[in-house]
Amino acid sequence: MAVCTGCSLLCEDIELTLKTGAISQVKNLCRKGHGHFQALFTERIVPKIDGQEVSVDQAITKAVDILRNAKHPLLYGWSNSALEAQRVGIDLGKKLGATIDDTSSFCQGILMELVLTGKLPTCTLDDVRNFADTSVFWGADPSNSHPRLLSRFAYYPRGSKRQKSYEEERNCLVVDVRKSATAKLCSNYFRVPPGGDADFIASVIDVLDGKIPKYGDKKRMIDLGTILRKTEYGVIFPGVGLVYALQDKIELLKTLVAKLNEITTFKVVPMVEHYNMRGFNQLLLDDSGSINRVSFHSGQVTHGPENSIMAAAKICDAALVIGSDPLSSLPFGTAKSLAGVSLIAIDPRRSLTTDAAQVVIPSAMYGLEAGGSAIRMDGVRIEFEPIVKSDLLSDEQILARIKEEI
Amino acid sequence: MVGAMEIYKLLPTDACKECGYSSCMALAVALLNREKKLEDCPALLNPKYADKFKKLKELLAPLEKASETGLIIHPEKCFGCGNCVVACPVNVAAEPTRCGIGLGPQGDRVILAVEDGVVKCMNVKECRRFGPNKVMCNACTVTCPSKAIEFV
Amino acid sequence: MQVVVTVVTFRDIFQNEAEKKSRYSEDYRKLSAQITLDKQDMAGLGVKDGQNVLVKNDVGSVVVAVKASEDDSHPGLAFMVNSPWSNQLVRDDVCETNIPGFKGISAQVSPSGESVTQISELFQRMKAQGA
Ligand code: SF4
Repeated sequence: MAVCTGCSLLCEDIELTLKTGAISQVKNLCRKGHGHFQALFTERIVPKIDGQEVSVDQAITKAVDILRNAKHPLLYGWSNSALEAQRVGIDLGKKLGATIDDTSSFCQGILMELVLTGKLPTCTLDDVRNFADTSVFWGADPSNSHPRLLSRFAYYPRGSKRQKSYEEERNCLVVDVRKSATAKLCSNYFRVPPGGDADFIASVIDVLDGKIPKYGDKKRMIDLGTILRKTEYGVIFPGVGLVYALQDKIELLKTLVAKLNEITTFKVVPMVEHYNMRGFNQLLLDDSGSINRVSFHSGQVTHGPENSIMAAAKICDAALVIGSDPLSSLPFGTAKSLAGVSLIAIDPRRSLTTDAAQVVIPSAMYGLEAGGSAIRMDGVRIEFEPIVKSDLLSDEQILARIKEEI
Repeated sequence: MVGAMEIYKLLPTDACKECGYSSCMALAVALLNREKKLEDCPALLNPKYADKFKKLKELLAPLEKASETGLIIHPEKCFGCGNCVVACPVNVAAEPTRCGIGLGPQGDRVILAVEDGVVKCMNVKECRRFGPNKVMCNACTVTCPSKAIEFV
Repeated sequence: MQVVVTVVTFRDIFQNEAEKKSRYSEDYRKLSAQITLDKQDMAGLGVKDGQNVLVKNDVGSVVVAVKASEDDSHPGLAFMVNSPWSNQLVRDDVCETNIPGFKGISAQVSPSGESVTQISELFQRMKAQGA
């Protein structure tokens, strides 16, 4: 049995046969996870300094050199590393007086903060399977992003209180700007215009208060109110679509959830994309009081948007990027700023970021070549063992060596 | 998916009855159910219908891939999400503590399982649509996000 | 000819699979460098499914292939899968929360005779301006 680190569901029922140079007959992995496992054999990299192949030791020494001489080092990535590596990474940040941020900074961060600090009620995915009769996917398309979420937890399986499951006992609602694959499957789809989520929330609150909704199709909104009222145990899964639409109005979601909880039980589980983003957010919160965007500069712990990857990329003079490809995933302006600084990339595979990096350190793929633990999107800790032998160092080992040498 | 009407439009529609049916529409339905072959229509073999014959061949080609229950899987469209694996009542009955609660099956008594990222079909005879007492179950098709599973 | 659209980014499992196999593959480029347009907007531009268009705004520009939308009519709204191509158009200097506007990118679309922008070209742009 293996664990898939392809997304934050961390599916644990993966069975596979190993042959040299190939993984075949893998059972239960979805298409996305299958791509993730095949990644073991493509675009692997070697240690490099300024484009020249070197030994791992030389690459690590060069990385130490760059970080030690930097005035404003930035440590970024983290959501694709095990907890053990994240722990060392945060300690390295303190030792360096660095700015540290992760991918949550440009996606689920503001929502995750509310969940981890107890300002939004949450539950585990096992609770969803056992008790939930209404799941709401809002600005999220799990069929594409978390392919097994509906089958393992949210809609199709039978649970202790939901033996009749999707046929009779569960509703699945989708609120989105586009009719996604999940929207086609759900029991009720509500289309919102881009940025219309705040108005939609206001209308839901109106119908729950028994008022005529100001926005949207009145009849459908009233029907929605009825479904929500009749719900025994509801779960909202907000995706990046909702987070981006609300941004500084994220409080509106809190208001809606509070309102729903006056009537019945409603929980929130953020649709975390990378397999251990939540783990990093939890570790950093326990350590510094903030889930992301932290600076340890001159021994002070500060938190704020000025430490976000978008802002820090513009002022840092060196950046260590681990398990992430910001040059591909971040806006052009941020990408080009990062491409211009002394960049150290730790990654199992080639990416635009490793292509631009001054120092490249190859790492083992977690879940495949290295073991460790991670926090699933719902807060459950999952342990995993390596499934293939590898001489590559893990993120944890690489970071520990950098930290030691500094 | 192909409909009887589409097939009918490409038949000679002269109601010669040589295929044994009283109308060309009846033959179209039989072709759809794979009870008859195109070659069973003698008129169609006439060279003047060569074009239509070719089109019909193409139209009916996917049906040949279908299993005995009429199940067709398009692996290239499949997400590997396992919705069908978990929804299929035969799967659930075979492995209540696995498929029943959202996990992939372990044994070999199931009909649907995900392998190498896409769904595979086996033991078709266990499908509720199989045999004389068949039920028009559609748990696997209605739960598919990408129309990767169809019945003819 | 030109139409102004709001581009919303989304995730696609096939593109994601291609990315996990190789960011430098033809498959990944095909599945990423693509914009889904409403039929009405396509008619306005005189472009067909598969033809190339230039998508640009004050942040940047890319040449991508058109995909005809299968969704209910949504003129003025376009979709691009999250990728280095769509990121060429995303502002990084938005509101206080400092979250870039991945989901409401205003851009102009016009027919293009050029071939689809290569990932190597996107990389060169980052390097050239980063130096
Ligand atoms: S749903 Fe996520 S964790 Fe599960 S197999 Fe697919 S990619 Fe892997």
